[in-house]
Amino acid sequence: MIRRLPIATRSALAACGAAFALAAAGAVAQTLAFSDAELRAILRHGPWPAPWSLDPSNRVSGNAHAIALGERLFFEPRLSPSGTVLCATCHVPYLGWQDGQAVASGLEQVTRNTQSVLNVRYNRWFGWGGAGDSLWAQSLRPILDAREMGGSAAHAAALVRGDAQYACDYEKAFSAPPPRDDEALLVGVGKALAAFQETLLSGRSAFDDFRDALARGERAAQARYPLAAQRGLRLFVGKGACNLCHLGPNFSNGEFHDVGIPFFVAGGGVDPGRHEGIRRLQASPFNLLGRYNDEGGEGERGGGAAARASAIKTRHVALEHRNFGEFRVPSLRNVARTVPFMHNGSLATLADVVRHYSELNLERLHADGESVLKPLKLSAQESADLVAFLESLSERASALAPRQPPAPCNQVLRKP
Amino acid sequence: MEKRRGAVRRHAAPLATLAGAALVAGAAHTCELPGAGRVLESARYTLAYRTIPRTLAVGEHFQVELAVCAKGADVPDREHRVAASAQMPEHRHGMNYAPSVRALGGGRYRSEGWLFHMPGRWEFVFEVGGERLTDSVRLE
Repeated sequence: MIRRLPIATRSALAACGAAFALAAAGAVAQTLAFSDAELRAILRHGPWPAPWSLDPSNRVSGNAHAIALGERLFFEPRLSPSGTVLCATCHVPYLGWQDGQAVASGLEQVTRNTQSVLNVRYNRWFGWGGAGDSLWAQSLRPILDAREMGGSAAHAAALVRGDAQYACDYEKAFSAPPPRDDEALLVGVGKALAAFQETLLSGRSAFDDFRDALARGERAAQARYPLAAQRGLRLFVGKGACNLCHLGPNFSNGEFHDVGIPFFVAGGGVDPGRHEGIRRLQASPFNLLGRYNDEGGEGERGGGAAARASAIKTRHVALEHRNFGEFRVPSLRNVARTVPFMHNGSLATLADVVRHYSELNLERLHADGESVLKPLKLSAQESADLVAFLESLSERASALAPRQPPAPCNQVLRKP
Repeated sequence: MEKRRGAVRRHAAPLATLAGAALVAGAAHTCELPGAGRVLESARYTLAYRTIPRTLAVGEHFQVELAVCAKGADVPDREHRVAASAQMPEHRHGMNYAPSVRALGGGRYRSEGWLFHMPGRWEFVFEVGGERLTDSVRLE
């Protein structure tokens, strides 16, 4: 219904409209004139959230009951026999789902920085070295690591079987009671944890609004994006060529590179990165070539490794000498909220990271002849602009619903 | 040119190789694939290939369908091996994956496990019977 407004009100609105038009006209001048090539490169970083499909290797991916079970398990200290370490010890919701420490500490301190699990569903590989080829397999790693949660299949299985609520939730999620086989039940725990983590998405950022305004040609909306961030964006897709690796809506190509961060670890030794990751992946009973990949059917009824599209990456990944010292390219979404940076948490601020790439020491690269990285030699203004752009990738507001207390489970249990 | 060849030997990912004798069709075989494909020539072979899907995207796995034809009847079939890989010549690196090649019969092959993980110019490298055939594609 259209209501006729009083003349005085209409006059006031007209004045406001004129003022807005003037503001918009002024704002147009605050938008950089991006070239067609720059525009194409910028638009490829969206839209956000990006399309995603359920994980075929996990039969409870997207299952509401599994998501609820996974959420409970994520915050469950009893998954660790000590009762003191839970997934959320390192993946702290109010710290951007990481821990703010240089390197993670569970039962002991480890050698790598905790990565956020926000947007983890978009990963091809998991962990800094990519030792996990699925989110559910990766979710088992800290449970079983003696330095982190120090658990075991038997301990996790006893927890789920012995807790009436967990046993009931498990049956709802998997349409079957907890299995008698401890390892199979542990995998179920991993798959529920993965189903929960798949729901953890970051909200839209100032960059997303700018990118969509560019796509729609809305110049006034474009002008709301700070000029410093626009200049930094131009560097990101231009002189810096950061988008060679930090590409797509999640700002990562999902692969591995040596960027010149020393891989020596405190107390001696080195972190072999991707090289060790591939070796561990290939030795893991939980990789996608194994019996627990659900694609094509549940568990061992999955139809064989050759038939699984989800296992193509695992079947074909190449172990090479150059993988030594390579680490996974992290997403840059919310990057300003996930200090400190790099695989070992050795860089404290975004300015430090930009300085690292600006003054890159090529002697430190274990590049095996590869010639992708070069020192960017940025001016102080350019460095500040690049930081401004990276800061604009932070979500304006969380996209996640507030946590709810778990609903009581009333399902009648059947014997396994 | 020589420099680039050297780079290929040093930096290309391990070539996917079809173990054993690859059956290459004789001269009478028409080297075509259903639908449009790219056709490459070497001294002794014609190779047609196409990608599935046809339009490639950075970070997406794809397959390659191949048809290989010997130009002369004097090419001994049992010496033929078909291998496939790709590299970024300007970056001097290959893929992070080693594609497999499976013979389908009649000079046809199916290769899977391909993934281009960076935008820029990629060079397909096919080796048949010791000869090297290349083709380039640019991804944004």
